[in-house]
Amino acid sequence: MKEKIIPEEFKEWVSEKWGTAKLPIGGTVPYHSSFGFKTGDWSALKPIIDHTTCTGCMDCFYYCPDSAIEIVEIEGKRKAVADFDYCKGCSLCAKHCKFDAILMKEMKE
Amino acid sequence: MIYEAIIMGMTGDEAVAWAAKQVNPDVVPAYPITPQTIIVERFSDYVNDGLVDTAFVPVESEHSAMSASVGASATGARVFTATASAGLALMNEILYVASGLRLPIVLAVANRALSAPINIHAECTDQLVTRDASWISLFGETAQEAYDETIMAFKIGEHPDVMLPVMYGIEGFIVTHALERVDTLPDEAIRNFLPPKREISHVLDPSEAKTFGSLVLQDYYMEIKRQQEEAMERAYHVTKEVMAEYSEISGRKYEILEEYHLDDAEYAFVTYGATAGNAKAVVDLLRAKGEKVGALKIRMFRPFPGNDIYEALKGKKAVAILDRSATFGSPGTIVQNDLASALYMKQGAPSLHGFINGLGGRVLMHEEKEQIYDQVKQYHADGKTHTQEWVGYRS
Repeated sequence: MKEKIIPEEFKEWVSEKWGTAKLPIGGTVPYHSSFGFKTGDWSALKPIIDHTTCTGCMDCFYYCPDSAIEIVEIEGKRKAVADFDYCKGCSLCAKHCKFDAILMKEMKE
Repeated sequence: MIYEAIIMGMTGDEAVAWAAKQVNPDVVPAYPITPQTIIVERFSDYVNDGLVDTAFVPVESEHSAMSASVGASATGARVFTATASAGLALMNEILYVASGLRLPIVLAVANRALSAPINIHAECTDQLVTRDASWISLFGETAQEAYDETIMAFKIGEHPDVMLPVMYGIEGFIVTHALERVDTLPDEAIRNFLPPKREISHVLDPSEAKTFGSLVLQDYYMEIKRQQEEAMERAYHVTKEVMAEYSEISGRKYEILEEYHLDDAEYAFVTYGATAGNAKAVVDLLRAKGEKVGALKIRMFRPFPGNDIYEALKGKKAVAILDRSATFGSPGTIVQNDLASALYMKQGAPSLHGFINGLGGRVLMHEEKEQIYDQVKQYHADGKTHTQEWVGYRS
C-alpha cells in the first residue's frame, strides 16, 4: 500500500500500469495538471491543416475545446498546428475554418 | 493491564453514546431514527454540555449523514455516526463511497425491520444486506458489547493495514432500549487504547493536493476494488488482534466467534446478535435434559470467518441457524448462505438448517427453539443436508 505519490511517480504509474501493490488506496491521485493526461488516442479523426490556405486567423484556436491548436510562425507567417497529444478529433476546427484549410481524416489512414 | 471498571446502568443506545463520548470523535453527522434515536440525543447532549470536542452536524437525511461523514473523514477527521433500518437503506449509495475511498468511518446500527409494512422493532436484515458494501460488519449481543464494539470499531477500521469503514449492529429495543449493567472503561484506558488522532495516509490536505473520487475506468477500477478485498482479508487478522488487545484492558474475552458448550456437542445453534443469549439459555435447558448441544455466536459477519466457523463446527452432526433476517426466494437464510459456502465439501462439515425467525421484533420462545432442535435432529436422521424454513408465524 503506497501512501504518497509525487507527480514524477504518477507518470511512472500511468506508463507502467501499476497494480494493487503499488497503487495508492481509494483511487486517490496526486494533483496533476491536465497536461499529464494525453487524450490524443481517444480520437477516430484527426485534422490535417493545409498551410497553403491557412491564414492564421485563429478561429480554430478559439473554437478548439481541448486547446489542442497552436499558432506557430512558419516562414514569417502565422499558421495553425494541431497537437495530436490532446486532439480528440471533434472536427469543430474543420467546421469553423472559413478557408476550408482543415480536412478531417480517419486516424487509421 | 485490566482497568478497574466503572459500573453504569445504561441501555444499548446509551452505552453506544457513552463510548462515543469517551472516544471523542472529531465529527458526528447524524440523523435520528427509531430505535437509534437515543444515541443521537445523548450524544448531542454531550456536545451541548461541552463534554466532547466534536463538531456535531444535524443533517437532513441519512444519505446526507453518510455524505457528510465521507467529506469529514476525507479531511482526516475521526468520524462517528449511527442509523437504523430505512436510514441505513438510504445511506446505501454512500456506504460504497466510504469504503471505496477507504475512509474508516464508524457506524452504529440499531437493527430494525425494513418497511413495508412499517415496523420499528428488531430485525437484522438492514445490516446483513450491506454485506457487499466492503464494510467491516460486527454484531453485538448486549449493551456491554455495544459499548465495547464502539471503541474497538475505531481501532479496527483505522488500522493502516485496513482503512475500511466499520458498522456494528445491536438489535432494536431488545438491546437498544433495555437497561443493563455496563462495565465502562476510564477515559484514560480509551486514550491509551486508541491513538488520539486517526491514521491519515490519504487525506485532503491543501499543502499536498490530491483528487478524491476521480473517474476510474476499465484500466484501474478492478485494481482499486481488489485492494478493498485485500484490506478485508487483513481486517480479519486485525480484528482478532484488536479484540485480543481489548480483552486485555477490559478483562472481557472478545473473539470473532463465541463458543458455548461446543466441544462435545453433536448439534449446535448458530446465531448472531441478541438471539445468541436466548440460544445459550436454550442450550442450558437442553443440556439439563442430557442433550449434547452447543451454540456458536458469530460476532463478525464481514469479513466472514468461514474457516474459524468450520473449525468450530467440524464433526457436529447438524446445525440450526437462527437468523433474524428476511430473504425471499433464496436457497438459505442470509447467514446460512455464507455458512454453506464456507463449509461446502469440507470434511466433517455438519448439515445446515436455516430458520428465519423473529422478524419485526417477534419473540421466538424457548419452547419453539427446543422444537427447532428436535426438528434438526429429525432432519439429520432423515439424511437431509440443507433446509431453510420460517418459524414462529401463523399460517
